[in-house]
Amino acid sequence: MEALTWSGSLGPFLNPVMLAAVVVFFAAFVINLLMGFAGMRPADPIVNPDHTISYRMGPVDITLAAMKYAVFAVLACIAIFILGGILQPGMEAKGIIGGVSAQFLPVWIGLVVIFVLSIRYKRRLGLYGKLFDNLVGMIGFGLVMFWILTAIFAPTIATHGPIDVVASMRNDPPGSMVANAAADGHFAYYLLGGDALGRDVFSRMIFGAREVLTIAPVATLFAFMVGITLGLPAGYMGGRFDTLITFVANLVLAFPVILLFYLLVTPEIVEAGVPVYMAAVLFLLPIIFIWVLFYSRYRNQPGVIKWVAVPITLALLMLYLGTVFEFDPFVWLTTSFIGYLNQGNPVSDWMLTTRESYDPLVGIPIDGNLLIVFVAVVFVNSPTVFRIVRGLVLDIRTRDYVAAAQTRGEGPWYIMLWEILPNARGPLIVDFCLRIGYTTILLGTLGFFGLGVDPESPNWGSTINEGRRLLTIYPHPPLPPAIALMSLVLGLNLLADGLREESLKD
Amino acid sequence: MAEKYDGPILEIENLSISFFTRLFEIPAVMDFSTTVMPGEAMGLVGESGCGKSTVALGVMQDLGVNGRIVGGSIKFKGRNLNDMSREELAKIRGKEIAMIYQEPMASLNPAMKIGKQLMEVPMIHEGVSEKEAYQRALEVVTDVRLPDPERMLDAYPHQLSGGQQQRIVIALALMANPSLLILDEPTTALDVTVEAAVVEIVKELGKKYGTSMLFISHNLGLILETCDRICVMYSGEAVETGSIKDVFDKMRHPYTQALFRSIPLPGANKNSRPLVAIPGNFPLPNERPNGCNFGPRCDYFESGLCDASDIPMDDIAGDDRHESRCLRFRDIDWDAPIRAAVEVQKAEIGDVVLKVDNLKKYYEVAASALFSHGEKKVVKANETLSFTARESETLAIVGESGCGKSTLAKVLMGLETATDGHIVLNNKGVESVPIQERDTATVSSIQMVFQNPFDTLNPSMTVGRQIMRALEVFGIGKNESARRQRMLELLDLVKLPRDFADRMPRQLSGGQKQRVGIARAFAGDARIVVADEPVSALDVSVQAAVTDLLMEIQREQKTTLLFISHDLSIVRYLSDRVMVMYLGHVVEIGSTDQVFSPPYHPYTEALLSAVPIADTSVTKEHIVLEGDIPSAMDPPSGCPFQTRCRWKKDVPGGLCEQEVPPMKKLADGHQIKCHLSDEKLARMTPVIKIAAE
Repeated sequence: MEALTWSGSLGPFLNPVMLAAVVVFFAAFVINLLMGFAGMRPADPIVNPDHTISYRMGPVDITLAAMKYAVFAVLACIAIFILGGILQPGMEAKGIIGGVSAQFLPVWIGLVVIFVLSIRYKRRLGLYGKLFDNLVGMIGFGLVMFWILTAIFAPTIATHGPIDVVASMRNDPPGSMVANAAADGHFAYYLLGGDALGRDVFSRMIFGAREVLTIAPVATLFAFMVGITLGLPAGYMGGRFDTLITFVANLVLAFPVILLFYLLVTPEIVEAGVPVYMAAVLFLLPIIFIWVLFYSRYRNQPGVIKWVAVPITLALLMLYLGTVFEFDPFVWLTTSFIGYLNQGNPVSDWMLTTRESYDPLVGIPIDGNLLIVFVAVVFVNSPTVFRIVRGLVLDIRTRDYVAAAQTRGEGPWYIMLWEILPNARGPLIVDFCLRIGYTTILLGTLGFFGLGVDPESPNWGSTINEGRRLLTIYPHPPLPPAIALMSLVLGLNLLADGLREESLKD
Repeated sequence: MAEKYDGPILEIENLSISFFTRLFEIPAVMDFSTTVMPGEAMGLVGESGCGKSTVALGVMQDLGVNGRIVGGSIKFKGRNLNDMSREELAKIRGKEIAMIYQEPMASLNPAMKIGKQLMEVPMIHEGVSEKEAYQRALEVVTDVRLPDPERMLDAYPHQLSGGQQQRIVIALALMANPSLLILDEPTTALDVTVEAAVVEIVKELGKKYGTSMLFISHNLGLILETCDRICVMYSGEAVETGSIKDVFDKMRHPYTQALFRSIPLPGANKNSRPLVAIPGNFPLPNERPNGCNFGPRCDYFESGLCDASDIPMDDIAGDDRHESRCLRFRDIDWDAPIRAAVEVQKAEIGDVVLKVDNLKKYYEVAASALFSHGEKKVVKANETLSFTARESETLAIVGESGCGKSTLAKVLMGLETATDGHIVLNNKGVESVPIQERDTATVSSIQMVFQNPFDTLNPSMTVGRQIMRALEVFGIGKNESARRQRMLELLDLVKLPRDFADRMPRQLSGGQKQRVGIARAFAGDARIVVADEPVSALDVSVQAAVTDLLMEIQREQKTTLLFISHDLSIVRYLSDRVMVMYLGHVVEIGSTDQVFSPPYHPYTEALLSAVPIADTSVTKEHIVLEGDIPSAMDPPSGCPFQTRCRWKKDVPGGLCEQEVPPMKKLADGHQIKCHLSDEKLARMTPVIKIAAE
């Protein structure tokens, strides 16, 4: 058996078509450009007496149409490749492109379901629904959803494990066959080739999506919570507090990011506990935010405070203590109490030793390095968010509905969180999307520098870095994660553009 | 220009303009015809959304990407603008047709000096030398009566006040000596006395340069003062056009009539002759009815006739170019007295509920926020205010921007605390109690209605929730369902349908939002309601309805209304007593009759003269104030009004510049702050005279 071809059995028919379409596109583009220099313009639309608009085609319009149809032709070819990959039997017929798209089957199904449902009910879905009136937004949303679904279905999509090594596959080109695969029950090909250690590039890219998409959105969310919690009072109350916080924010922004990261991972600084202290502060702000959110709204309804707000806040505090300090007040209290009762006997000793080494009941176990990355990303992003929020608040606080809330005696936190914040949501949502993109790039950069994350991890950034060394000889290992990173960030930016455009329309 | 042309300057025939969206066409202007003769001023009135600005943009051929002229022609000096190329249009725009927009700051380039912007016009259009252009600029700036023209030319736009900026915009438009000047609400952003001065300049220069004008406004009074002819628009159509005299005195379209009945003219009175609001709402462009657009709101509607087919403009025999778009104007008895004007009993004025005594509010403005030592400036926003307000009484607070009325409102509400003096509310001194420390009863007893309907409601909360939040804060209702019940009752009170409770504010019209704002203010059974220009941002026909609603609630609930406004017509219509403020001082206070008849404070006199009145039988004494309102940061010495006062010379010994005049008692409850002697005051004549009919 031989290695797979890129386009499989469809290639001989579709490749010439695609090539022709590309040629037509560039030819039309050049002609159009020349006509533009010559001063020719597209024909104006004609308004008919029955109040409709029609167009008469001029030469410029014909080139534009040619470009449009060429793009359609390329898209159609891609669609056929994907469908062909799914439908054709046998890996040789599928080819690499077909094989990859067949592996992505759950993602395709998921995308179709999401789009069909969303477009069907878009009138009832608010801003999210309006996204489907906007081509740019739809493309962006599609790209983002593609990677989210990939992350969700990663084990099904990936052909091998992210750190499975087949020594004979070192630096093998895409489509290479894995020796003895059938005997071991493995997938028979390395679809996108193998890397320098003989791991499957395709599978590492797929699992990398998981890594990137868990850290980036959560870190961005925390950065937003921190930025909002500080930006609201700074903008609303102004004065010295504002001056101070703005100054600190400028200070953080002025500090070189990469240097900051290097500092944060320096062993001395880690040992001194700086990242943990920073996490202690940065993670506490969202809890304060949520508590104030509830309290200001329901301060006149003690029932809601007692049965909803207090339990939620306490639960979050537990989570916070468990996550940041690996400290569980329940375990600590019970072990201390029982230990006190049974001083000097074996039960007590057992209790005391467990207390030293127990895992908190609640709390997300975060790897030390991951915590540093997380803290660093939140720390770097929150000043920008702070400034955006502050600017929005400065504008919105002059509105009459804010004055109305003041004149009925509302507290400042109610006004900030319930009168101002909801009306700042448009720009914040847009920025959130953009910022996930930046964070993804930042994580990639960090991975590239080998900062923070586990070197074995399939994280896109570190994978690109590993592939960099042999780039001139074997370009195939770093390219897939690079393209993946690019398409995700592009998708987030397009999504943000679409959201911005649609949110302005109301 | 040299070429002679004596036909009409602008001839619009059956113009139709539509905006195209992805889904459908929205007709903005339909079948619009008008002619502007040389030297003539044409007024275009109508409510917002009626298409009057679209006509102006159509004339400029500047409709944006979505707008298109779908029918008719616009002829400028006999040449059809629709057929012109971009290059030809560029030659005409700015040179032959100039436009003045509403917001002066938006029409000036903030990064360019005034002189440069002015000189650009003749340099581009006529290719004159820089020196000549400078001379011309100097001349025009002098023409718009700006002091110190050379310094003006050397200034940046932000260094000038709003009134000065608008004059510069006018100068900019006049630089090329255009044949047609389009003014789109040129004075809406300005204060009344400044507006009067700007209008005066426009009128005068129009005559001097022989410019034709297309004057777009929603203010009938302003049109009466500036124009020769008028065209009333409703929902994309011209409904009546003719000379000012014909349309104002012999209106022949039901909409024009309804419009005049809904504005407070002298003689209207909240008890004996209330305003008549136009029922219903303005139709959306894509929901216009068949036939007559005004049909569903018209008193004279006849089904089968008015809703059958499109209605053409029809000549009115005997008048000069007077046309009406009404099929029944010959059948309607136009002189019939106003129906349905229910007389109501005047409410009994009760005890004093609010007493303000020598209230002072000073702000300290530091030079820098970070290092707050150094020089501090004191802004005297309110200076020794004293007044009382009684139960069921409407006290109007009149003044222009910067007079301190908003500061007064803030101090009353407790958003600021007074620097000195006393405020007694419900027998409690509240002058130094900020709102956080006031008890719920005090807070709920004094509430506010805000000016801007688009801003008064939180856009991301339903209407019902916002009212319920107020109830919750005021501790009304035991639980959620009791509060919901009370909220629905409040919606009934302001005459809104109950299903509005679950709507978002963006689904409501301006007038409806304002009603919700009123409902919210009355949520805690307010004893005193401070209404800060509650109707000034609304369309005329809606204004009347909201005003009436306020009056009705006041009668029912015996509320004290502090009505802040700059519009003296509405103040005269609804208030019992009036307080006139200028630069933080109360300059005159008294009952409505006392304030509106001589003797006046000189500022009141000017204010009365400045307010345009849409009634041809009214003659006004013409008083134009020089200059702008001084800044509160740097008030003039002595009497605050002395810089603009025309009576200053009648006070001997320069007293006005040295001392703040004392409050002088003229009659029972009528006080003014002026140095003028009693005999001088006695010689004052009424500013507004209504000719005997």
